[in-house]
Amino acid sequence: MERDGFPRVAKLKDGSSVEISLASAADGPSLLDFYRSLSDEDRLVLKDNVTTPGWLARFLAKLESGAATSLVARADGRICGEATLHRNLHGWSRHVGEIRLSVAADRRGKGLGYALAGGVVKLAIDMGLEKMVAQLVESQAAARKTFERLGFRQEAELARQVADIRGTKRDLLIYSNDVSHIWSAMEALVEEDYRPHEGQ
Amino acid sequence: MASQNTRTEIRVGGLGGQGIILCGSIIGKAAAIYSGRHAAMIQAFGPEARGSACSAQVIVADEAIGYPYVRHPDILVLLSQDAFVQFAPQLKPDGLVLYENELVQPEGKLPTTARSLGIPATRFAEELGRRLVLNIVMAGFFTGATNLLSIDAVEKAVVDSVPKGTESLNLKALMKGYEYGRALVTPT
Repeated sequence: MERDGFPRVAKLKDGSSVEISLASAADGPSLLDFYRSLSDEDRLVLKDNVTTPGWLARFLAKLESGAATSLVARADGRICGEATLHRNLHGWSRHVGEIRLSVAADRRGKGLGYALAGGVVKLAIDMGLEKMVAQLVESQAAARKTFERLGFRQEAELARQVADIRGTKRDLLIYSNDVSHIWSAMEALVEEDYRPHEGQ
Repeated sequence: MASQNTRTEIRVGGLGGQGIILCGSIIGKAAAIYSGRHAAMIQAFGPEARGSACSAQVIVADEAIGYPYVRHPDILVLLSQDAFVQFAPQLKPDGLVLYENELVQPEGKLPTTARSLGIPATRFAEELGRRLVLNIVMAGFFTGATNLLSIDAVEKAVVDSVPKGTESLNLKALMKGYEYGRALVTPT
């Protein structure tokens, strides 16, 4: 069933197509297969160990609760990319969403990361979120470019913040995209109710 | 109900900052621009502050509107208790009150033959992610409960009225209110 404009087909730069859909619990085993198929090098800087059943159980629980919304891309019957919006449903950062993105090696450089991350940005705006962040390390040049094309800018750099799966310390780059202006315009429109110096 | 009338008088009432004028404007636009009917709107502001009384008078008619003021509304769309107290006595005997049921208690003051339908629009708006779209939930509720305008026309009016980038959430809010309104008036 279609929801929020998904599933939809995305045409990639090499002419191939992928289907992008909202992830559900039924995608769990395929998602685990996808992450297990990534090379050690690719998984070097992923925030979590995404190859374990424990991670999958936590991830699916977040999907169920609404704390995570995920898009998966499929081609030839297998998942070839995934982007997730993580959000705090309560607390002082409930207006902020964090985006995480992974693309299979053989699909990189073709616009799939942009399609997935762009889809998640749209979902975040539709949810009323005002700010999105992505946590990257300095070596992720392609991902940085993708997020920059989506309006993200580097907001902070935390030295030696990340220990990758080999234990090597890396600098963490915080990219952010503040979309609060979109909702400021709506707030201004609603405030037409009490324009000063007019009325009655 | 009111679709057989050549002239339907609507009063949207609430507080400044609830999007009362935008709600009235969307109803008027849907009628005049996207339904080929005639519409007139007059807005009234209270003191210059958020939270003061605010209302919009909207007329929808099949013929040109000679007198643009609402005197005895066929439909009230109410988002505050003060608005209920002020406008309920003006309602036509067979009129309809649509109210936000966490903000308005429709007790007394209504003609005995009038109907009233409530919706938890604030809760719906918050569940959608933005309390700000409360007025759009109410516009959808109006559309679903009255059958005065088509949902297609109101959708177009919403898209035309809200800032770019907010259309999707506003349309979700509209549909939430619309479906709730349809369910209340559809015999089971």
